[in-house]
Amino acid sequence: MSGYRFDRLKVLVVDDNVHMRKLVTTILQAFGVVQISEAESADRAWQSLRDSNPDVIVLDWVMEGMSGVELVRMIRSNPQAPNSFVPVIMLTGHTSLEHVNEARDAGVNEFIAKPVSVKTMMSRLVSVIEHPRPYVRTGGFFGPCRRRRNPHEYQGPERRSEKSQQAAE
Amino acid sequence: MARKQPLELFMPPNMIKAKVGGGPGGLDMAAITRAEAAMQSLESEFGDWIAADVDMLTAARDRYAATHDAAARDALLRAAHDIKGQAPTFNYPLIARVAGSLSRMIGELPPQAAIPLNLVDAHVNAIMVIHKSKLQNTNDRTAQALCAELDARVDEVLAESK
Repeated sequence: MSGYRFDRLKVLVVDDNVHMRKLVTTILQAFGVVQISEAESADRAWQSLRDSNPDVIVLDWVMEGMSGVELVRMIRSNPQAPNSFVPVIMLTGHTSLEHVNEARDAGVNEFIAKPVSVKTMMSRLVSVIEHPRPYVRTGGFFGPCRRRRNPHEYQGPERRSEKSQQAAE
Repeated sequence: MARKQPLELFMPPNMIKAKVGGGPGGLDMAAITRAEAAMQSLESEFGDWIAADVDMLTAARDRYAATHDAAARDALLRAAHDIKGQAPTFNYPLIARVAGSLSRMIGELPPQAAIPLNLVDAHVNAIMVIHKSKLQNTNDRTAQALCAELDARVDEVLAESK
């Protein structure tokens, strides 16, 4: 037994599908989370961030209007964001490496590949509690470190350097 | 290669751990059991939920057929992608497979290439048939043959677009 006081946790669930929101909310409530707010779009979520000030965001990727990844970029980089460090668990049907890298580069902390399972949801929640990632700030990036190992050991090319990003553009 | 880009690496205080306590990090099996029971209690609603998703897909198909514009194309892709992700949870893995084939076609076709409406319809009709027949068994041979045929047709369309 882990003994977590999930009743103290504030979670924001963002999904444009009402049934998926209900499913995720039901799982979280069964875990003992009582402070759950919901948003049906990334725009609504952005507006409600200041009021709800969540400890964790569970976020769908594909939504009408602003996507989940775009919202994460705003949370990490916009000075108006109330908490740039808030952990984001992304729900996604995208499982290709390219998509995972895109989301990690945007600042997503953890992933849940659909279909949603109870064990995976618990595992990701425990992960953001017990294994938070260090944060990285460079000229062109701010967000959780993509590497779970010591990033100072990295010897490869600097993909997020301003030069690399300018070249890519 | 030596690191040249200035990099600030820091660990913010773990406010969540301070809030919820617990540990040393094992999964809370009692909570998992409760959540699985809660999910089971929702299963009676899954039929209605998947029906709503299928309705959304057919509406997106109709909108695309009427306008062929980028917004309608995006809506169709989103509807297919949503069903692909959600149908397995709602106990319709075959619907997820067909929706996955449809979202692959729309997502991988270049934006300037028209989406073949007859193949969209083949996917949407297959999803409607699977749903109406309440076909939840992935071993159904007819459904498997249908899925394989749709996959092959999508492969052809994508190959032609390159």
